[in-house]
Amino acid sequence: MSFANAKRIARRELRGGLRGFRVFLACLALGVAAIAAVGSVRMSIQLGLEREGAVILGGDAEIELTYRFAEPQERAWMEGVSDRVSEIVDFRSMAVVTRGEETERGLTQVKGVDGAYPLYGAPVLEPELELAAALAGRDTYPGAVMDPVLIARLGLAVGETFRLGAQDFVLMAALEREPDSAGGGFGLGPRTIVALDALQGSGLLAPGTLFESAYRLALPEGADLGAMAARAEAELDGAGLRWRDARNGAPGVAQFVDRLGAFLVLVGLAGLAVGGVGVSAAVRAYLDQKTQVIATLKTLGAETRTIFLAYGLQIGALTLAGIAIGLVLGAVAPLALAPIIQERLPVPAVFALHPRALAEAALYGALAAAVFTLWPLARTENVRAAALYRDGAGGRVPLPRWPYLLVTAALVGALVLAAAYLSGLARLTIWSAAGMAVAFIALIGIAALTRAAARRLARTRLARGRSALRMALGSVGGPGSEAGAVVLSLGLGLTVLATVGQIDANFRSAIARDLPDVAPSFFVVDIQNAQIDAFLERVEADPEVTRVQTAPMLRGVITRINDRPAAEVAGDHWVIQGDRGITYSAAPPEGAVVTAGRWWDADYDGPPQVSFADEEAAEMGLALGDSLTINVLGRDITAEVTSFRDVDFSNAGIGFILSMNPGALAGAPHTHIATLYGEEAADARLLRELGNAYPNITLIRVRDAIARVTEVLQGIAAATTYGALATLLTGFVVLIGAAAAGERARTYEAAILKTLGASRATVLANFALRSAIFGLAAGLVAIAAGAAAGWGVMTFVMETDYAFEPGSALAIVTGGALTSLVAGLAFAWRPLAARPARVLRASE
Amino acid sequence: MVDPVARLENAQLSLDGNAGRVDILRGISFEVARGETLGLIGPSGSGKSSLLMLLGGLERATGGAVRVLGQDLTPMGEDALARFRRQHMGVVFQSFHLIPTMTALENVATPMELAGAADAFERAEAELQAVGLADRVHHYPAQMSGGEQQRVALARAAAPRPEILLADEPTGNLDGTTGQAIMDLLFGLRDRHGATLILVTHAPELAQRCDRTIRLVDGQLETDTLASAAE
Repeated sequence: MSFANAKRIARRELRGGLRGFRVFLACLALGVAAIAAVGSVRMSIQLGLEREGAVILGGDAEIELTYRFAEPQERAWMEGVSDRVSEIVDFRSMAVVTRGEETERGLTQVKGVDGAYPLYGAPVLEPELELAAALAGRDTYPGAVMDPVLIARLGLAVGETFRLGAQDFVLMAALEREPDSAGGGFGLGPRTIVALDALQGSGLLAPGTLFESAYRLALPEGADLGAMAARAEAELDGAGLRWRDARNGAPGVAQFVDRLGAFLVLVGLAGLAVGGVGVSAAVRAYLDQKTQVIATLKTLGAETRTIFLAYGLQIGALTLAGIAIGLVLGAVAPLALAPIIQERLPVPAVFALHPRALAEAALYGALAAAVFTLWPLARTENVRAAALYRDGAGGRVPLPRWPYLLVTAALVGALVLAAAYLSGLARLTIWSAAGMAVAFIALIGIAALTRAAARRLARTRLARGRSALRMALGSVGGPGSEAGAVVLSLGLGLTVLATVGQIDANFRSAIARDLPDVAPSFFVVDIQNAQIDAFLERVEADPEVTRVQTAPMLRGVITRINDRPAAEVAGDHWVIQGDRGITYSAAPPEGAVVTAGRWWDADYDGPPQVSFADEEAAEMGLALGDSLTINVLGRDITAEVTSFRDVDFSNAGIGFILSMNPGALAGAPHTHIATLYGEEAADARLLRELGNAYPNITLIRVRDAIARVTEVLQGIAAATTYGALATLLTGFVVLIGAAAAGERARTYEAAILKTLGASRATVLANFALRSAIFGLAAGLVAIAAGAAAGWGVMTFVMETDYAFEPGSALAIVTGGALTSLVAGLAFAWRPLAARPARVLRASE
Repeated sequence: MVDPVARLENAQLSLDGNAGRVDILRGISFEVARGETLGLIGPSGSGKSSLLMLLGGLERATGGAVRVLGQDLTPMGEDALARFRRQHMGVVFQSFHLIPTMTALENVATPMELAGAADAFERAEAELQAVGLADRVHHYPAQMSGGEQQRVALARAAAPRPEILLADEPTGNLDGTTGQAIMDLLFGLRDRHGATLILVTHAPELAQRCDRTIRLVDGQLETDTLASAAE
């Protein structure tokens, strides 16, 4: 039976050791290790979120309300179902420090807590202090603890006082760690914690002020969270409350980690594809060496199938070894780096061996290895017994037979499907796979084009007399050229890097360059009804304020659409997740375009009507005439959708999804928001003067907010760049492999050239030039592919303008040429140093 | 001998191998006159090819002196030797040693190109025509037969019009008829250009075509015979 024979042959062949397979093993191991490591970190965070859910959330469950505190009956319900209840309030404000004439102001996210806080976990304070003791304060001042970043920004020291609204606080300690910080999502200001009671005199919790209250519940041991959530919804009548529980304590973080992790796995797959080029080249080189052995085996009566199996088994054994090395590396690296990774994470992670992550990486490794080794293995069929006495070199290599092509296509399909299913990002996976396939084909085409162009150029007058150039071009274009493997591996690695570079650079320039030109200088929130007229008068009279916009502002939750629960109609659309800002006005706001329906008359006083942002309405499937039930401050308002508007959020101005007729919200306590436009130079003065005049209002400097968003984006870009660099590292290993495999040929070539009178400098220039040509070709393809992918992402995903970023592109081409040069020259030393006579004699 | 092309004085060559130091040439002395054809013969392993490599500056003598065209090759550096070869020598090997990534034309043009000749390609084409390969100029070595490859190698060695032609068993890898044709070509080229030819061979009939034959045995010169003396 051919399998037994194949096994015997494979075992004997493997006695020759793993020489020539170092690149094979390195490529496969690196690809698998990167995916296993990313997967392990992702699972470590997920496990941490699961295990520490209650600490992250601040309770087993949380009921959040907007703009209001719980009614007595609601509070009674909470106390009835739980062992303990903790009440907190969360809002933005300005921390003000006065030193003589000077005042310092800093935006802060204030958390007012009761005596039960925190139900789980404990904050870390510096100096070490119990939270209750810290919040009790000193002398006549209530106490506060504050994020060290804000302490530094305000130039505060422990023991000094600052003001929130109309209330003075004494800083008792720095807040080094807040146990429930990850549950709250993205905050624009650093945290300050004070006692809830102490806020009563601050004027910051006046009716209509933007604040959120949350009630954390410590439930009895073994409480069924699912059942409890259902009870809360039923018994509390869904009065604008939002339920969260420890099953998913930080949904934002969990989703972010999940998405970023899945995205990085896709980048890892790109790395595996690059490694696949090296794997394929290594198998091809190995089988080329084995031509004589295969021919001999055929002469001795071995069937094609036996030979295919014999070498398939060898490659299979090596694949298993490569995957095993990769899994060990991928499992151990996160454990070894756990302290460093944990320090950068906002949530606790449980670093351990995660078999699912490792199995996923092994599956990808096995499929990728099969995809990239099948074609070279199929070439064993082409070796004839006649190869023993006739050199078969120089012939064109035919495509494998159709069954091999079919199986390869099926394997690629399986790999893409597995990635789509396991990453949970099916669309992105399919687009990435398509992009990679296009890049692959483009690179193969460019490699062929480079060869043809080099061959042609070598014969032109331009190259004549320039021997190093002519020889380099001849070598790039001639038989046995490394163009295919080098351009493909380096090109794919650079393409991933170029794509990340183009997207990142476009993002940054969109935020840092374009936005400040159209964005306002300040967002002002919490302007009370009694203050709005004076406020407007003051800023409109200010010569340095070029434009002011104001709007009344309330917050509400869309609970029902056409009398059905909102989630049933709109799924998990972001507009129905949590509360949204709502405004009202008699006339359409300045610049607003009504795209469908009709705006209510200025004196309309009938049943409530609402105008909805048209893009979001289309996404949610809303139509004119639909009814929306919106819970505002615990009161349900049902309004008919009578018009759609075009709302532009890209200029950071005032934009509301929901706008109602004034009568609908009449009597509801509310505040006003404003946007102020002006030159940056006026920022400090406006902050000081308006802050002094209206201590209760919060001024958010838009430039600071942009900086904060940029900071978050930079973190994402950094993680992605590391992933892309791992791909490039694999590409570099493939390059080194190609250079090492070509060393013998280069040594031989150098010996002949020296015999013909070439100096070492000429030989070196020849080698360097060909490496540079490969690098340049790969870099140019990478830029084109990166620009196309960047354009696609910016245009279709981000829906913003794309501009080619030459800085990042130039870096890629230079980097590509240099990488190729380094890999090529690393293996030029031996050919240059070898004595021609010995080299030529050895090949006689 | 007046104005010899090459002069060896007690030339020695020892190489370090896995089995220890091996003495390949043990003190060889002789001179080669300008325009002479010299056959180097002897059994396998006697040091014929190594001697030819010393004369071509492809191997460095470990003792004694090797003078070619009045230059002592022993102290010369790699690059100086390379320049010396491209100005004065052409070498033909048993295994042809064509550069596989270059066409026939490019292979032949390379030494002249390296020497800075502006008409390298025109001369290469003419030389390929002279060896009967006018229709194979753009073929790569792998696309040609052994005989054709050796004709390209001959053209490459002869095209720069060297003063010395070194040939190391140029017919060793070819069948009898092709080998005969190659030898006719080699001697024809030498006659046309008047170069000094030093030829390593196993074939007695080839040695007989030379003006003089030196026989090596075990790294030492055994006999040095002039053709006229042998006749």
